[in-house]
Amino acid sequence: MTDFPILTAIIATPLIGAVVVTMLPSRRPEIIKAVGYGFTIATLGLACWLLADFSTKNIFFQFVENQPWLPGIGSRYIVGVDGISLFMVVATALLMPLSLLASQRYPSQRPKAFTAWFLLLEFSLLGIFLSLDLIMFFVFWEILLVPMYFLIQGWGHERRQYAALKFFLYTAVGSALMLACILVLGFLHQGATGVLTFDYRVLAAWAYHGLSLTTETVLFLGFMIAFAIKLPLVPFHTWLPDAHTEAPTAGSVVLAGVIIKMGAYGFLRFSFELFPHASVNLAPLLLTLGVIGILYGAVVAAMQKNLKRVIAYSSIAHMGFVIVGIFSLTVLGLDGAVFTMLSHPLTTGALFLVVGMLYERRHTYEISEYGGVWRSAPMLTAMFMLAMVAGIGLPGFSGFIGEFLSLVGTFVSRRPWAIAGAIGVIFAAVYMLWAFQRVFMGKPSAITLRMPDVSLREVIVVAPLLALSLFLGLYPKAALDRIEPSVKRTIVNVELKTGFHEKRPAGYSKTTLPKGVTASESIRLGLGGP
Amino acid sequence: MTEFYRQYLSVAVLIGAAALMFGAMLGAGRLLRPNRPQPEKFITYEAGSDPVGGWGQSNVRYYVYALLFVMFDVEAVFIFPWAVNLKSLGVYGLIEMAVFIIVLTLGLVYAWRKGVLRWA
Amino acid sequence: MTPPISTPSINWLAISPEIALAAAGVVMVMLRSVLRRRPITMPLCVVVAISGVVAAGAVEYRLWQVVDHHRAISTVAGMVRVDLFGIFLGVVVLGATLMTLLLSVAYLRREGLDAPEYLALVLLSAAGMLAMTTANDLIVVFLALEVLSIPLYVLAAFDRRRLSSQEAGIKYFVLGAFSSAIFLYGVALTYGATGTTSLTGIASFLAHNTLLDQGTLLAGIAFLLVGLGFKVAAVPFHMWTPDVYQGAPTPITAFMSAATKAAGFAALLRVFGVAFPLYRADWRPAVFALAVLSLVVGSVAAVVQTDVKRMLAYSSIAHAGYILIGFQTATSRGREAALLYLFVYSFMTVGAFAVLTVATRRGDDRHSLDDYRGLALERPIVGGLLIFFVLAQAGIPFTGGFIAKLEVFSAAAQAHQYVLLVIGVLAAVVTAYFYLRIAYTVLTPGEETSSAKPLETPRRVDVWSGLVLVACAALVLVVGVVPGVFVHWARDATFLL
Repeated sequence: MTDFPILTAIIATPLIGAVVVTMLPSRRPEIIKAVGYGFTIATLGLACWLLADFSTKNIFFQFVENQPWLPGIGSRYIVGVDGISLFMVVATALLMPLSLLASQRYPSQRPKAFTAWFLLLEFSLLGIFLSLDLIMFFVFWEILLVPMYFLIQGWGHERRQYAALKFFLYTAVGSALMLACILVLGFLHQGATGVLTFDYRVLAAWAYHGLSLTTETVLFLGFMIAFAIKLPLVPFHTWLPDAHTEAPTAGSVVLAGVIIKMGAYGFLRFSFELFPHASVNLAPLLLTLGVIGILYGAVVAAMQKNLKRVIAYSSIAHMGFVIVGIFSLTVLGLDGAVFTMLSHPLTTGALFLVVGMLYERRHTYEISEYGGVWRSAPMLTAMFMLAMVAGIGLPGFSGFIGEFLSLVGTFVSRRPWAIAGAIGVIFAAVYMLWAFQRVFMGKPSAITLRMPDVSLREVIVVAPLLALSLFLGLYPKAALDRIEPSVKRTIVNVELKTGFHEKRPAGYSKTTLPKGVTASESIRLGLGGP
Repeated sequence: MTEFYRQYLSVAVLIGAAALMFGAMLGAGRLLRPNRPQPEKFITYEAGSDPVGGWGQSNVRYYVYALLFVMFDVEAVFIFPWAVNLKSLGVYGLIEMAVFIIVLTLGLVYAWRKGVLRWA
Repeated sequence: MTPPISTPSINWLAISPEIALAAAGVVMVMLRSVLRRRPITMPLCVVVAISGVVAAGAVEYRLWQVVDHHRAISTVAGMVRVDLFGIFLGVVVLGATLMTLLLSVAYLRREGLDAPEYLALVLLSAAGMLAMTTANDLIVVFLALEVLSIPLYVLAAFDRRRLSSQEAGIKYFVLGAFSSAIFLYGVALTYGATGTTSLTGIASFLAHNTLLDQGTLLAGIAFLLVGLGFKVAAVPFHMWTPDVYQGAPTPITAFMSAATKAAGFAALLRVFGVAFPLYRADWRPAVFALAVLSLVVGSVAAVVQTDVKRMLAYSSIAHAGYILIGFQTATSRGREAALLYLFVYSFMTVGAFAVLTVATRRGDDRHSLDDYRGLALERPIVGGLLIFFVLAQAGIPFTGGFIAKLEVFSAAAQAHQYVLLVIGVLAAVVTAYFYLRIAYTVLTPGEETSSAKPLETPRRVDVWSGLVLVACAALVLVVGVVPGVFVHWARDATFLL
């Protein structure tokens, strides 16, 4: 491990890229595009380096950087990565250049602004996954709104105005409440200990015994609303289908691939460590919402006439699996959730990209306009089919591993919810296969017959995602080895802080910390001090 | 209810009574009056005359004179008590009043040069 | 023989910023009457005006050093108190004044309003504002209030040919005079209850005596709050704001929204912080109501506006709500937050109005949202700056607006004002929505119709206005990226006594 501030480099590269792009003359789109690729690929390179350098031995945060930032408020620039955030960073870095490549032809207007907003979006996403200071986390969470709003508003489809507004209002309300909760938490900590800090690790070591149960529950709910809106859990989900449908392809890919994972990430990272009692107490509520999401998403997806909306609702169902896995409060379930968070960007990203290709050819998402596409575009059909089966959890692809682990974890701890969730797996096959049948099978119309098949560029865009999904499906250990230490630490910390006992399958030994790590060290998340 | 809030009770009652009266007066008017909207009713003066540019009862020039008069009037009001106590105020007081009068004079010079003192 | 009247000792340094501004104003009026309409008159007056402000700024700098190393200066029989708090807000007022002057040079020429009186009035008003920041006596506060208001009434109506400007002047005058009267009545009642108008005197009287009947004093406090609430445009005393902001010449709107607000809050914070800290339990609920109403009305009403100037007027009402949150906490962190907010807000709002000034065509009357459609595409720098300023006002991270809002919310969280905190963050969402709408409109091309195009080709931005734009943008950006030093200044300036 070197002293090179790799996390700062990862966060800063897209920002520098965005600044560079705004400086370029807008008459030269080819230079702008090249610069966009350059910076996103450089970020991906850094992320791969991070992946290679990441140690599976350290259960706490690695590559931590800690600098003063807002002394008056007690906020610091703290970044660090552990097994939970590692793959979110990698997935973000991977999706970005591919989405840019996918939208090479499509945003013919104003490529400069598009690229700049896109790089800014990547910057904020990476910041969200790497921040360990609550104020900083909020800052990036808030910045994300701006590029996403402009991307939907500026390059979306017919009802983009409405979709952008809805996206903005939902997310902003959630993040506003989260800010209020962050500040309340920080200042309660200051009132109790005299130290004003928003360092997540310090607060996590204090909050579980420093807050009354009522306060903890209220703050948990405040955070929960922000995360549940992003995720989206069912009562807060209505922005998502609109945003997905109206956003340009690249925007949909990023929305489905990474942005909705922010909510799940927030639960894993913040809710468990900061509010363990409330997390344990309210787990049935979240599980129920998750199961409702799975079933509701599946049923509504089956009813949709618009191809993008089908995938959007399927995302709601997938996120239902993630939340069920998380709040099963078992190592298996959490493993499954984090694994799904890695696998879903690959499969749904691929699906949205393929649908984007269909749109470029026919300029509609209406399922009824298609039919028999396989005859004129067999490669396209094959790509869609692979992405689809990867998404609905065919064994051998990554989607299966994530869903399976989530459900096993839930089955061990909360059997009724697991059974209800498993029904959703069947539904998933139903709506996806039905959509596939209506779009790609059957008798093609005259226009469809003239549709060109995929170009090399389009194969390059989708192939890496499907290949990775296949690789992870066949050899999930590569990812799980890196995920599991942090997941185990999370579960052990919840047990230590609340006296709750993880439910395990018969014959499994109790989850323990690795040798040499004490309980108090684990509660302080590896931070020094008494 | 604590003593603290009881003190405000009368205020609350008064506000309530005021709101009630206000509402009753406007509401009664609304119920009783006939409603025949005409565009003329929305101009400033219903008589139809334009409020700008017409001749009023008095010439606007008197207004400027009135302002100048008030200026010197007030000046005199300040000077009388000062003059009575001039000895005890000493040189300092003399200078202060000089500054005051000079500033006023500058104002007069400005008004003069702007042509305020001419009638035409 | 009457005994000699002891005249109060005067620390001339302490009051020289006001003297510098007023003197510059008088000199300009003289130049005008001596030189009349010679071509040299206007440039000469601009030089005099700017040197007046710069001189006042230099004195403030010197005062900061003196006060920082020794202690606050109390002079003119304790009626004026120069402390870091006053100097901090004085600098904000002077900054806004300088920006307004620079902005006005090209504006006046374009609109054919070349009149030194305009500059003189700005300076005289600024002198009143400076007096307000250091006033330690209710009488001085009232004097300052009048000195700052009367020139503003004239300035609001300065573009006489435009009906909306006349309307702004009359409206501002009638309501302003009314509120001044209310304030004066509050002064009288407070004097009746405590026997003094000195702020420190009131505080010590209330600390050592118990009032049998508090009614008079409470009514006095209420009237003071109403009078000053009018000046800072807090709901429900905000009715004048949208019309006046819309009608007044745009540089004057910038001046009113930045400098007047700073001066008004200086008086609010000082009067209530120094004189009535013991009556916190009485005035805090009232300020709570003002803050909530300002936030809600300011942010919601702005959403339905179609005129950018009106939008910014309502947003300034919402901003007043945020500053009131800091005031309401009545803690030193709250005052720090209010000060920092005023500092950042001044430059954000002057910057935004500066863009409106240079972006509009002659006549200063086309400010509907549609007139700004596609501005960033035709004039990338001007449009980009407008986007930057509205995003800063929305509180997007890495701008000063974010730091200011964060400070205010922190103060509310620390003071356990959770209701205010939640209302504040939700209002921020609503305001952010219409700021984004402005930003989006500026970025989107309009329909290619002949009438939507400006009648004349875009003018080059003159040097002075460009300077204002760059300075405001740089300050807002710097506060957002490295806020430490500014937070530190604001913290130094919070200690009132």
